[in-house]
Amino acid sequence: MLKATNLTKSYNGTAALSNVSFQVNPGDIFCLLGANGAGKTTTINLFLNFIAPTSGQAFIADKDVVQEPLETKKLLTYIPENLTLYPNLSGIENLDYFAGLSGKKYVTENLRSFLTDAGLKADEHDKRVSAYSKGMRQKVGVALALAKDAKVLLLDEPTSGLDPKASNEFSELLTQLSKKGVATLMATHDLFRAKETGTHIGIMKEGKLVESLTTDQINHTDLEKLYLKHMN
Amino acid sequence: MILKIAFKELKEIVRDGRFRITALIVLLLLVAALFVSKGYYQSVNAQHNEAKVNARSEWTGQGKKNPHSAAHYGTYAFKPKYPLTLIDNGVDKYSGVSIYLEAHKRNEAQYMAAQDQTALSRFGDLSPDFVLIFIIPLLIILIGFNSFTREQESGTLRLLKSQGVPNWKLAMGKWFGVFIPVLLIIVPVYILAAIFLSGIKDYGEFSLGALTILFGVYLVYYAVFTNITLVISSLVKKSNVSFVILLGLWILSCLAMPKISTAIADSLYPYPTQVEFEEQITEDKKKGLDGHNPWNEESKKLEQETLKKYGVDSVQQLPFNWNGFLMQEGEKHTADIYFKHYQLLKDTYVNQSKVYRATAALSPFLPTRFLSMAISRSDYHAHWDFANAAEKYRIQLVGKMNGALMNNSKYGDWDYMEDETLWNSVEDFSYEPPTYASVIGTNSSNLATLFGWLVLSALVLYAAVNKIKIA
Repeated sequence: MLKATNLTKSYNGTAALSNVSFQVNPGDIFCLLGANGAGKTTTINLFLNFIAPTSGQAFIADKDVVQEPLETKKLLTYIPENLTLYPNLSGIENLDYFAGLSGKKYVTENLRSFLTDAGLKADEHDKRVSAYSKGMRQKVGVALALAKDAKVLLLDEPTSGLDPKASNEFSELLTQLSKKGVATLMATHDLFRAKETGTHIGIMKEGKLVESLTTDQINHTDLEKLYLKHMN
Repeated sequence: MILKIAFKELKEIVRDGRFRITALIVLLLLVAALFVSKGYYQSVNAQHNEAKVNARSEWTGQGKKNPHSAAHYGTYAFKPKYPLTLIDNGVDKYSGVSIYLEAHKRNEAQYMAAQDQTALSRFGDLSPDFVLIFIIPLLIILIGFNSFTREQESGTLRLLKSQGVPNWKLAMGKWFGVFIPVLLIIVPVYILAAIFLSGIKDYGEFSLGALTILFGVYLVYYAVFTNITLVISSLVKKSNVSFVILLGLWILSCLAMPKISTAIADSLYPYPTQVEFEEQITEDKKKGLDGHNPWNEESKKLEQETLKKYGVDSVQQLPFNWNGFLMQEGEKHTADIYFKHYQLLKDTYVNQSKVYRATAALSPFLPTRFLSMAISRSDYHAHWDFANAAEKYRIQLVGKMNGALMNNSKYGDWDYMEDETLWNSVEDFSYEPPTYASVIGTNSSNLATLFGWLVLSALVLYAAVNKIKIA
């Protein structure tokens, strides 16, 4: 579903990402681990076509994201580290707006059920987003993925700064989505969540994908050791 | 999708307290200005009609009199108050409302509203055109300055772009998000103005078409400002920078450019001062024929020529009253002098207008200002046309009086009298302003400049939004 082939991005000759290749199949949750500046966010931005690759290609459902920027975006939902919504609009209005922009039309009841499925309580739907916590905003993001019927999730440190309960809820939502066949690419610092929720793990260092493995190959302690080995 | 974006923009704008208060203030200002204008014009119009009737009855009721004395007694021409001056008063405040028509002399229009006001009138009046031309662009800036920068700063632009929205659709949505609030203010004012104007009695002919064209011009002007606002908002990253740049542009185009244009026009094509102008006319008059002075050199020359032409040797033998003939010849001569000097003034005016038209390319304010005054018939051109018609009427009136003296009386019979039969035979002054078609014709370059601004700013906006980068 998601495929990177020799993705390279350099700024003024300095490579931020060099020759990264990987694939995320429907139902997979691919967790990118690595220090800040290792190229995780760059990878996600390349899939979003927010930046253009220096060389290599990124595909979503076999479509080149540079060639078909609008079509590929219809398939994905992007949840950044800090999902910002329009503070003067309510949660449901925000969902209606963003879902509407991707070409989906829903009646209010449907929108409400997406929000409820994403874990937002009914009395919170009509509150202005300015009163939302970060966790609540992330849930609107998940509801958007449901509403868009997204095939791909691009997550950039979505659980950082969430309390353990909210973080746990979020991970459960991801697992549910993956059971529906959604391919997820998630940049994270949370080794524990990566092992618990993820199906695949990639470790990045200085723009290179230095390790790629499935989570059932490794236990938590070994993952930490492996990670630290690469960082040192 | 464009509608969806526009609707969301509107929702955000309406929920923003700052906008609600500002829009309410602007709407109240406009409606108040309309009411103030309406009251003012109703009273001016009533006075105007009364004065017109009085002037006519004074003319016809002046009793038995020598016809040349009647020409000296004279009458008044009153400039009609046009319906659309309710919206744009133009230069009416400074151009005077009536012209005294008398023998030998072309007078300037008198009784300017500005004369009746104190120095405080320099602060300007609350008139609809002030709000429409100066304040609404500010409101547009206030609504739109952070249209894109707000999304850049908060990060919603990333989420927005990840939905697969083409930039031009986003820009169109935002454009309507800024323009629709302006329409919500303008449309009620338009309707109110139409109701006022069609409801006022004796208000000259009111043309709904002209009012519509006037508001159409304003809407094009607002569209230009909306384009400019969105261009800046999409090019810069920070809302406060965008706001400062836009305020600067507003000051430049609405306050500075008009004054700069005036300075350029005045220095290239200066008007003579009132004193210079009058001196030049007196100088020319001295050189020529004086109807009241038969010993004047030119009079003597004319006398010789006339006697020769009729083959007689004294003015008493002429088949008409020599005094009347001399008066009329003198009148023709002075009329020519006035025509020449006023034509020089007009040439200066035309040249200055050319400077304005050239500088109009630098500010959308200028073509709008000129179009607004022209359609409202309160520009200098409209005043000029009226003054010319009044002068024509004056020449005809004095000519008729001198003709009566010349043909109906004997030489030297200064006691000769005419009565109201003659006074009544002079038709009352009636003036038809230039048609709207000709007004549009003379302002076609202003229209072209304004539309040029619209097209150019739209193209720049299209180019600018396609360059939006996600920070």
